[in-house]
Amino acid sequence: MEAMPEEKAEFEEAEIKYVSYGGEHHLPLIMNLVDQELSEPYSIFTYRYFVYLWPQLSFLAFHKGKCVGTVVCKMGEHRNTFRGYIAMLVVIKPYRGRGIATELVTRSIRMMMESGCEEVTLEAEVTNKGALALYGRLGFIRAKRLFHYYLNGVDAFRLKLLFPPPPRQELSPSLDT
Amino acid sequence: MDGHSPKLASIPASDSTVWADASPLLQAACTGLRDGELIHGDNFNLFAAMSALEIMDPKMDSGIVCTYYSIDEAIENGAAPIPISLDSTIDVQRTIDIMDHLLACEAAWHKGHSLAQTVFSCIYLLRLDRTAPHALLHSYCRVIRATCKAVVSVVSDARAHEEEDLFTMTYGLPLNGDGDDKCLSMLNAVEETISRQLRACKAASSKRRLPEVPILMQIWSHYSPTPIWKKDFAKLCCAVYAFHFFHVLACMKRPQGRGLESARKHIASCMTELESILKSADFIRSCFGESYEGDIDDKTTASGREPIGFDAMLNSRLSAPTPPRAIKILSWKKAVQYFVKLLHDLDVICSYPLDPHLESLLRFVVQFQISQPDLVARSHLQLLLVQDGKLYGRDPFFAVITKAAALPEATKNHDIQKNESILQLGMLVMNLLKILCTNAAWQRRKHGKFLQDWRVIYVQLELAFRNEFGEVSSSSNDENICMKIFQHILLWVEEKTYWIAFRFLILGFELELYSTSEYCMVYWYLYAVLTKLAEKTHLKIAVSYDIAKRKGKKKKDSPKDLARESRIPPAVLFLQCYICLAEGLTMILAALRNEISVFQSPGPFNTEQEKFVQHFELLQRACIPDHVSYPSYKESTTHACFSTLAMYNYFKDAQRIAKEVKSSFSNDPDRLAELRKLEQVAEHNSVAQNLICRLGALDPSLKVSFELSHHPFFATVVVKRS
Repeated sequence: MEAMPEEKAEFEEAEIKYVSYGGEHHLPLIMNLVDQELSEPYSIFTYRYFVYLWPQLSFLAFHKGKCVGTVVCKMGEHRNTFRGYIAMLVVIKPYRGRGIATELVTRSIRMMMESGCEEVTLEAEVTNKGALALYGRLGFIRAKRLFHYYLNGVDAFRLKLLFPPPPRQELSPSLDT
Repeated sequence: MDGHSPKLASIPASDSTVWADASPLLQAACTGLRDGELIHGDNFNLFAAMSALEIMDPKMDSGIVCTYYSIDEAIENGAAPIPISLDSTIDVQRTIDIMDHLLACEAAWHKGHSLAQTVFSCIYLLRLDRTAPHALLHSYCRVIRATCKAVVSVVSDARAHEEEDLFTMTYGLPLNGDGDDKCLSMLNAVEETISRQLRACKAASSKRRLPEVPILMQIWSHYSPTPIWKKDFAKLCCAVYAFHFFHVLACMKRPQGRGLESARKHIASCMTELESILKSADFIRSCFGESYEGDIDDKTTASGREPIGFDAMLNSRLSAPTPPRAIKILSWKKAVQYFVKLLHDLDVICSYPLDPHLESLLRFVVQFQISQPDLVARSHLQLLLVQDGKLYGRDPFFAVITKAAALPEATKNHDIQKNESILQLGMLVMNLLKILCTNAAWQRRKHGKFLQDWRVIYVQLELAFRNEFGEVSSSSNDENICMKIFQHILLWVEEKTYWIAFRFLILGFELELYSTSEYCMVYWYLYAVLTKLAEKTHLKIAVSYDIAKRKGKKKKDSPKDLARESRIPPAVLFLQCYICLAEGLTMILAALRNEISVFQSPGPFNTEQEKFVQHFELLQRACIPDHVSYPSYKESTTHACFSTLAMYNYFKDAQRIAKEVKSSFSNDPDRLAELRKLEQVAEHNSVAQNLICRLGALDPSLKVSFELSHHPFFATVVVKRS
């Protein structure tokens, strides 16, 4: 996703507008972007599941009225941990390499943190150097390697970001062990 | 839709039925359904809607287009003709292509794709009885079917495939065939007939003495038979190879490793045939050569032609519970390479002398895994090691443990083996062997999970020991055998626990789980674990030497014995070499971070502490080692700088130890090879450290990187000018 584009768009970073998912009118924009750029085919119900239940976690990036990037996430309880999950992240090719994906993901993670998530997780192909670098810079570690995770035989890393504990928990550390 | 009743001549209304306009009903449903609802129902929420649909899954996506919608339709349309061709030349060409493609399919299946989309994309195989008039194709298909069944059985039994579970999915596929073994004897007869004919040819030809190579190879290289004969030869090699491969599997399946020697003979025959197959490929291409597009190396047949009789979409409903994406069948060349490697790996397994010493076995398995053997080979290894709850199906695990813990031979019959904790320990050892046969990713996760269990077992055994004997010092001369067993086993359990922790950490390098900014903490933790491992190993060896001494009933220690006793055992020295390298790397990374702020990555959301907690969570939970935490890591590394680095060169120590210990491993080529690698790493890093200490802070153009170029888990420090 961070591969060098063949034709770069000319723009200033300040020209990119980031908005939270605002309703049905955003849904086709997200779907078009993801259908175009990612290899997984999703039905409309998949998109609705994410944006209806967690609209505050999905963001879109616009340049002069055109949607150029999106991130779609969820969060919930998973084995006694309240965890965020990044499901889809896309930036169209001419706009890559300029930090748009980083900004989209950062906004989403910040929202997850404010909502009380303890950690954030996602899977990425081991060959996706761009994604691995992006998430690495944000503090994710490669927690596990998943053998032949993708049907084309490629392995995946499970990436995880652990938030520091909120200040009040540090008062009684012995209770946590 | 209009309001009129539709006129459907094919479905007329009868006496009890009438056509009615459903438009109002649909309209009401549309109004009732909310946005995003697939089904309007109490328990059918958005998650259910999302999960209900799987795009491209033929079970629910009826829009998927196929060439044929059933096997019968494909056959009716001539997709798999029998006879293949009335022209005998074309018949031969196409038969060879089918055999080649099946080999490629088999390799693709082994590599992780579903059986339904690979081997059983062959229409001839799906309706095997049809092939009866074509003797060779029929026999070949039956052997393939029997082989697939044998392989599925081995992999299922081993259960080394949790992450590769596509492999054993066979529902709906015709894998069972009565009398498949009869076709083997038919193939055998065919081979013998042709071999006799070829020998007769050889006798009539050149009088030159030929080197000892299998008869078929000799004829191939020195006799110039007619092209027709060479075609038969090519066909024969494929069939004979399949025949021998099936026998490899059958022999390896015999309990307690009884069939290993025979398996080796069949493996050798397989290798010969594969060699012949490769050699015949050029001939086939030149003889039957057609023009082909693209790289011949990508083709699934030696001739480069597309084979007839295959359709991967026919079984799409049986492929897997995931959308059947078009998979790429391995190229024929890569398939042959795959089988050559598989046979080599199986040969290594078959050559293993079933050593009853657990430590040697563990080393063997670790060494075997270095070449990254595939699932089929690993499953065979696992089944050889653990059968009927015993090692090699013959040694009870308690006996194995007592031997490994350097207890006297008679201990294996002691009643203590009925103790609950001892029984659980036996299970843990069995599981450890099984885990060591899985792929690296799965292995690491299992190691991490089971560390807790090993720790718990240790605590339980220690408790049982204290309850029985109270607080007894370890240097007690008490001859009570029970106490001795506990002491030895406790020591052995601790050592094994640290060994597993060590494996957990180093597998992270192989799996590329650590970024360079995390290397410092990883090497530091590795240093802590290795220090404990060396300590426990030393204790264990000392105790076993003690036993040996007493067995020898020596009244007086000779100077030689005393010297041997005070010398550090080679196994411990080996670990000390590791320790020096780990310490050296920790310090150099810490100094670089502290002095010139490289190899750290402060993110906006968390700190190094969170990364430490995540990477070492499982070790910390099991208290391996005790008193190791993020604060102690910081304390150890905060003051590292170039001037402190210059004061001590751990890499020089590592070099010295590696040199010193080489002579002790002169009979162990694997350890010697590793010692050479360790020396290389130590040498490079020593030089790099000196350079960095001299120039590091002053020269901003110096770029330092850490590459795993000489050793799988000890990085080489590379210093370049940018």
